[in-house]
Amino acid sequence: MLTYYPGTSFLHKLDPTLKLFLALVLSASCFVVQAQWFVSAGLSRAWLLAVLGALLVLMLLLGAACGLFQWTLRSIWGLLKTCAILFLINALSVQTGAVLLQLTENWAVTWDGLYLGAALTLRITASAIPLALILRVTKPLQLANSLYKHLHLPFKYAFAFAIAMRFIPIFVEEMAEIMEAQAARGVEIDTRNIFKKIAMLLPLCVPLLLSSVRKIEVATISAELRGFGLR
Amino acid sequence: MRKKTESSPEYTDILRFEHVSLAFGQFQILRDVTFSVAPGEFVVLLGENGAGKSTLLRLCNGLLKPDGGRVSVCGHDTQAVRTSRIARDVGFLFQNPDRQIFNKTIRAEIEFGMKLHGIPTRESYAEFRIPNFALDDDPFTLSRGERQRVALASVLACEPKLMLLDEPTVGLDDNEAKQLMDAVETRRRQDGAAVLLITHDMDIARAYADRRILLEKGEIRDADLLSWD
Repeated sequence: MLTYYPGTSFLHKLDPTLKLFLALVLSASCFVVQAQWFVSAGLSRAWLLAVLGALLVLMLLLGAACGLFQWTLRSIWGLLKTCAILFLINALSVQTGAVLLQLTENWAVTWDGLYLGAALTLRITASAIPLALILRVTKPLQLANSLYKHLHLPFKYAFAFAIAMRFIPIFVEEMAEIMEAQAARGVEIDTRNIFKKIAMLLPLCVPLLLSSVRKIEVATISAELRGFGLR
Repeated sequence: MRKKTESSPEYTDILRFEHVSLAFGQFQILRDVTFSVAPGEFVVLLGENGAGKSTLLRLCNGLLKPDGGRVSVCGHDTQAVRTSRIARDVGFLFQNPDRQIFNKTIRAEIEFGMKLHGIPTRESYAEFRIPNFALDDDPFTLSRGERQRVALASVLACEPKLMLLDEPTVGLDDNEAKQLMDAVETRRRQDGAAVLLITHDMDIARAYADRRILLEKGEIRDADLLSWD
């Protein structure tokens, strides 16, 4: 979850706007870096994977510095597993490059497919972690105030962002309760078939959506009744 | 009549906790909890907030697994059987009906569990009728109390042998709460289903329960209190 993790590390103490800026730079760099740069410098394109891997190691070190090593490791592993489907799509659809495994007469797994799949997986994982890590070491309202102060972002937008962040763990907890309620009715949420699981989970978004809208409505009214929008 | 796809084991107690303990991280939630519930019995689980009542209820149908000891429900060890299998025999009514309801009509909501458990659906569900509403109405247009009744109807429609009720009358007025508990009691008398209820409402506890279990800081206190005397 993306809840604030209290601490006194240098990342905790850093100005929230600066933290956000650094996280955005790190995330963007994962997509900006190109294999062509290494090839032009006479190196192998595998250097791209090495650089993306190094960024992940950097994330782990930053996470460890904040006391969040285990969380960072679990997040990286979770994202890599989620991106496995993209890796497979690339590996099975890209048909250029040297053939690694001939599946049928016109269909093969190629080194290009594996390389592009691995690069995409690492890019997505490495770009998501910095933002998640920053949100764990920054209080949402501190971030909102900092964005208002330094970037002159209208306070209502900064506040809305902070409140949205505040609601994430609540929604995660609520989804867990909804899944419990459905499991108790006999829905096989504990099935290991991922496609079956997704098909079962989709309708469960209805109660989550409804309760989210209700919560947001109540929060909005509550904020307005206490003078939100005056500054 | 329920279509049986797997045979149920023989059992004497519908629910049995044997020296059950559970911790979340460093927090010990339940310690050495031992009790049993007989078929047809109505037991109320009492205790302060944070005593471990809801956790205990989630152990009953395998939503949580114990760290130590054994929980068996309808003869099944909850460690060995999946929750979706236990759900055929055990109905669970949550405090908030909105965790449960997601279908577009009241009928679909009632029949959802029935279809999963192979229970034939019917044209009419007179016993679950909600005044001024038809079965094809949207359940989200109902009041909180009415939605809770739909949630209960979907539990009762699955013909459970054990009903687990987690503070089901919270947020309901006296009349709604009585109607809800009467529906549970009627089903218990008709089918002999056992009930394990969590509530802070002592009037409801006294009116419906045969026996009480008092939970305090994760341990059962006054386990020998078999009556209200």
